[in-house]
Amino acid sequence: MNRRDVLRAVGGTSLVGLAGCAGLFETRSARAPPLPENRPDAVYYPTHYEGMKMPGMKEQGGYRCALTYSYAHRFWLMKPNGITKVEIQPEDSIHLMPVVWETQTGIIPPDINPQLTITQSRDSIDQFAPWPMLSQPMGFHFGDNAQLQSDGTYTVEVSIGGPSTRRTGSLAENQGNASFTFEFEFSESTLNEISYTDIPDDREGTKGAVDLMDMEMLPNSQVPTPNALPGDVRGSGMSGDAKFVVTILEDASRFGGDEEQRYLAVSPRTPYNRTMLPMMSLSGTLHRDGTSVFDGILQATIDPELRYHYGTTVADVQTGDELTITVDSPPQTARHEGYETAFVDMPDVKVTL
Amino acid sequence: MTDERGVPRREFLKSAVAIGGAAAFSACLGREEVDVPTGPDDLSSYPQRQHAWNEVLPRDDHGNVIAPSHRLLLYLNYRRDGQPNEDDRDQVETALRGIEHAYERSGIGLLLTVSYSPAYFDRFDESLSEGVDLPDPEALAPFEDPEFDTPDAVVHLASNTAQVVLGAEEALKGNKSTLNGVDQPDVALTDVFSLTDRRTGFIGDGLPAKNAGDAESVPADKVPDDAPLFMGFKSGFKKNQASEDRVTIQSGPFADGTTQHISKLQLNLNQWYNQDDRWQREAKMFCPYHAENDVIEGAGDNLGNSSKIDDCKPTDETAREMGVVGHSQKSARARDDEDSPLILRRDFDSTDGGTASLHFLALQRRITDFVDTREAMNGTDVTEQSAVGQRNNNGILQYIRSERRGNFLVPPRSLRALPPAQPARDAQEVTHESS
Ligand code: HEM
Repeated sequence: MNRRDVLRAVGGTSLVGLAGCAGLFETRSARAPPLPENRPDAVYYPTHYEGMKMPGMKEQGGYRCALTYSYAHRFWLMKPNGITKVEIQPEDSIHLMPVVWETQTGIIPPDINPQLTITQSRDSIDQFAPWPMLSQPMGFHFGDNAQLQSDGTYTVEVSIGGPSTRRTGSLAENQGNASFTFEFEFSESTLNEISYTDIPDDREGTKGAVDLMDMEMLPNSQVPTPNALPGDVRGSGMSGDAKFVVTILEDASRFGGDEEQRYLAVSPRTPYNRTMLPMMSLSGTLHRDGTSVFDGILQATIDPELRYHYGTTVADVQTGDELTITVDSPPQTARHEGYETAFVDMPDVKVTL
Repeated sequence: MTDERGVPRREFLKSAVAIGGAAAFSACLGREEVDVPTGPDDLSSYPQRQHAWNEVLPRDDHGNVIAPSHRLLLYLNYRRDGQPNEDDRDQVETALRGIEHAYERSGIGLLLTVSYSPAYFDRFDESLSEGVDLPDPEALAPFEDPEFDTPDAVVHLASNTAQVVLGAEEALKGNKSTLNGVDQPDVALTDVFSLTDRRTGFIGDGLPAKNAGDAESVPADKVPDDAPLFMGFKSGFKKNQASEDRVTIQSGPFADGTTQHISKLQLNLNQWYNQDDRWQREAKMFCPYHAENDVIEGAGDNLGNSSKIDDCKPTDETAREMGVVGHSQKSARARDDEDSPLILRRDFDSTDGGTASLHFLALQRRITDFVDTREAMNGTDVTEQSAVGQRNNNGILQYIRSERRGNFLVPPRSLRALPPAQPARDAQEVTHESS
């Protein structure tokens, strides 16, 4: 379903663009309407979606950073046996999202956890490390509700450290720190200009997703379509409403193996929007004629072409090999509405290669 | 004594030590009804180990040492360029003895250490005695960018009585002619050193909740009333601390000394209390096993004399299967051959600068022991191989930010006043006493 389809489907009032169009509902309570009843264990249309604003963009040390914000949101944190709902607190004024990406590839690295320091005339206002999150319109991002007391100019410093997920190819070179400082004019009235789009009652809570926002200057957090993935795409499977695409690369030398070996890559993504699904523990077994030829973890890796994926080197792969992907832990990212019931219970995925 | 600084009365009740000065001291005198015994005239029986505090501190029902509740760190720069001289050494020693005569060495009395930085030892032509591992401070995680403390010296004052800490500070600054009824010397520590920073804090049942109002960032009514630390759990169990022996330098001129790392960690209690739930707090501070099995009641006094970390599954297994690992579980991977932790934690909370933070003060035989422990706590190895993030679900890393770091040598008592880098002290055998 493309963006226009969604708009038609939701039958929204005057939905022109997401960022920048006037809010339809401006009261606080309307921003956290009751959750749909009977939410499916799958990606579903939320009660509403919101646009965002971008006060600025900076570049340093091979990274770009955009400071973006929206209304304060409710969201969910992951636990091994469920989720914890985080309500909007009375003091929360905005949802602050520093989007950091690698300049050359446009990849948003989920392992580099930005740290925010908010000050006003040198007084400390707030400091925190925003959560890694998944939202339908924003995709993967870091964000948290922040408490700005009133209209005014705030200084927001976003600092990032070195990576902690394996990187391959040109990405392996950048291990550095960077820091970006923004002057942020905040006002309640500008905040209220951010679009707020209700999703009709008969549509909210049904399977489907709001499209990714069209963020002109920002990269998205999508992974390639199966056709665009490098290597020989050998199949795919679903688990917990996530799609796992399997591709085999001829030469494993970029991934710590040698030229003779193969690299088996698994590229999980959300349905509808193709957003990456980072921060999982995945493992796999490969069976050939009933005997195991591989049994081990699939390591999270960021590669310029495969982008965020999970993989391992194997001696070889033959037609008919049975791959079983086990999700030892589902994505530990926080979830926005519409994603909190998906990617939680994730049974094994079996793919015949 | 006049209230020169015009400190509002409300603040005395909360944080006399944080405010400091003569006014705070006199306010405390009126409020704390304690008679603190004076120290002996003859201090020669005092242990060589400045850090030998455990033998004189009270213990709880389980045998855990109760950390002294009021703390003060004085960051000092030596006023003279180049190497120290004997007069200055005498003055420092005399000033320190002044406060030791005034207050006995005990929990209600005064405990203190004097320590020196690598920057101080740079004043000498010769390098620091072999066998002392005291590098310059450095960043200890890929995601931190702390500032480094390089004063010459740090004096750590600790007591269960706030007025003792404040009184000792005033005397060291030369502001008291008598202290606790004991005449003070004419010389002040601050004649020899200038004070560059003053860090304060507290630890102990109920103190964080009482002090919460002094820090902007503490969510109202969320810190449990009986918790000894802002994050709500008891820390420093007997079996999870290195002994004083374990952290003591064994040979060479600085034998009986130890090394000290002090970091300032800023806390984010909003996420911790308003967004995470109790399950997550238990899992992230201890390990998921503890959260699953309701092992911890309240602040964790029921745990006895250990954090029961042996019940946790191996860290890498938990990381893979649960997607979250605990701080204690991870840190306990840094143990020696005898299964002892490498560091002796003497950390405490603070509201310095109006924000909730923790002065993480740790003693260890070598700074390397601290670095290894912090590496275990970072869990970078775990992150690479599992759903656990650099900070997300990675113990308490999400909620703490390293602002400052400094390394120091706590020399033996006989060398506590401006020690040379290569003391000509008879190589002495360390006697093993249990702590
Ligand atoms: C806000 C900061 C911190 C808090 C609230 C905190 C709290 C705790 C708690 C509650 C425990 C378990 C109880 C116990 O064993 O005593 C613990 C254990 C421990 N922590 Fe921390 N901690 C903090 C920071 C640190 C730091 C910076 C280090 C240094 C690397 C560290 C090293 C350790 C060690 C070594 C253990 C014991 C592990 C073992 O059993 O071997 N902690 N901490």
